[in-house]
Amino acid sequence: MKGLVHYHFTTYFRTYKYVPPFSVFIMMLVINYTYVPNPILDSYSYTSIMLFFIMGWFTITIFHAEDEGQKQITIMHAKNKKVYYISLILNCTLTALVLCIVAVAYPVVFNAFTPGLHSIHLVMGFLAHFSLAVLSIALSSFFTRGLVKNNVNSWWGVISILIGSLVISVEKVEVLKIKLINWVLPPLRYSMEIMSVDDQSISFPVKVYGQFAWIFIYSLIVITIFIAVMEKRKAL
Amino acid sequence: MNPIVDLQNVTKSYRDKLVLDAVSLSIPTNQVTAIVGKNGSGKSTLLKLIGGLIKADRGEILYRNGEPVRFGYVPEVTPTYIPFTPIEYLTHMGTIRGLQNKWLQQRIHTLLEIFHMKDNGNNRIVHFSKGMKQKVTIMQAMLEETDLLIMDEPLSGLDLEAQTEMEELLISLKERNISVVLTCHETKLLQRVVDQIIVIDQCNIIQTENHQAQEKSMNRLIFELTKTVSIDSIKQQNVIIKQEKEMGFHKKMIELNVSEEHTNKIVSEFLDRGASIKLLEPLHKKETEFLNQF
Repeated sequence: MKGLVHYHFTTYFRTYKYVPPFSVFIMMLVINYTYVPNPILDSYSYTSIMLFFIMGWFTITIFHAEDEGQKQITIMHAKNKKVYYISLILNCTLTALVLCIVAVAYPVVFNAFTPGLHSIHLVMGFLAHFSLAVLSIALSSFFTRGLVKNNVNSWWGVISILIGSLVISVEKVEVLKIKLINWVLPPLRYSMEIMSVDDQSISFPVKVYGQFAWIFIYSLIVITIFIAVMEKRKAL
Repeated sequence: MNPIVDLQNVTKSYRDKLVLDAVSLSIPTNQVTAIVGKNGSGKSTLLKLIGGLIKADRGEILYRNGEPVRFGYVPEVTPTYIPFTPIEYLTHMGTIRGLQNKWLQQRIHTLLEIFHMKDNGNNRIVHFSKGMKQKVTIMQAMLEETDLLIMDEPLSGLDLEAQTEMEELLISLKERNISVVLTCHETKLLQRVVDQIIVIDQCNIIQTENHQAQEKSMNRLIFELTKTVSIDSIKQQNVIIKQEKEMGFHKKMIELNVSEEHTNKIVSEFLDRGASIKLLEPLHKKETEFLNQF
């Protein structure tokens, strides 16, 4: 597994496909924190949603970095399709982790927040970024070339699902009142609700951590379904 | 010679569509076998069955009297973009395969020597020609010691020079006691190398030819005879007419290959027609290889 993760990372690194999303991400951070001071949790909430979209871009490019013919050969050497896709997801997660650290650390390093920054704000900021980034990886994986043959459809699919998830959360759409559907829809809203509290709050109830945990569990379930579907597919 | 793989009445279907229907064949040890057929005739499926990459619905696949066979598989699609050097690439593939690094580096060194690519070991594959990229793809299939190399359409997309290189490579693999089975659309391209040809059409094997066996027992004959003499009845027998050309106004020259067992009969039929023998010699494989270079 270690060899496969290293190989996928090096392949992605050498294709330079990370340059556009990474540049856009940094640019948006710089623009967002141009004027100081900024509210803490509000700013983190905004950049976490930004990362939610950027991570879709990263996921597609990481999954598509390897040559299509080479993909068959790599799966053959890995002797296991499951391991192959777990390695790709791990690469996406590691990328997400780095971006989360950058997004949380940037305003702190450049003193872009209003006074009153507490370590709990950093924890909440990190959880908001990382949970949404992982959710984005899980949702975007269903639009990679293993399941969507046309590249254009991949991009439209990812944009649609990410925007759709955001709209449902922001607009508090009627369907959310039906409890069962509530469980099925991407739990983006939890992070947004948590991050909408006042910056003065320095203690958060246990329920908050439970909601973050649900975002991670939801993502894990979606990723498990994706890998199971990929394993069942005959074509490599 | 014992076959390395033996298929007995193997049937395979995909979603109720029959691809192979009770196919039986043997892949001989240390020989090159070509599976020939049109697109969609079941060549690739047969190849994957031989390599154990897919399972048969019915029938049996026996490997070298039950001994384990080490396979190398070269897929039809040659990767066009590999952002590594051959050494880096093969190291990655070997590590993914779980090979021990020290052993792997020695193996890569050996493979670069076999494939005459020592000087290109540290150059980026993206700058390689199609033929060289194909070589790298074959090398990854041989990272572990290989008994049987399975190649799906190895000549597809290669120019003439690269095809010749591929032929030489196959000869050198054969010399190293590696059995090869490959698919292709036509055998002309590989006639110097291939020992056995299996023709597949509409889910069945319609023909199996053993080139080596044929060439070992063949004779080459050249006759000179009068132009007006008809040899149509001879042409319909077990002969391969190689050349027929006019020599002046009345004479013609005819060159043909005949199996050893039919040689006496054919010679006597030509002599009955007043022909004179210009050449009669056994046809050896090595000589054929030499002559084919011109």
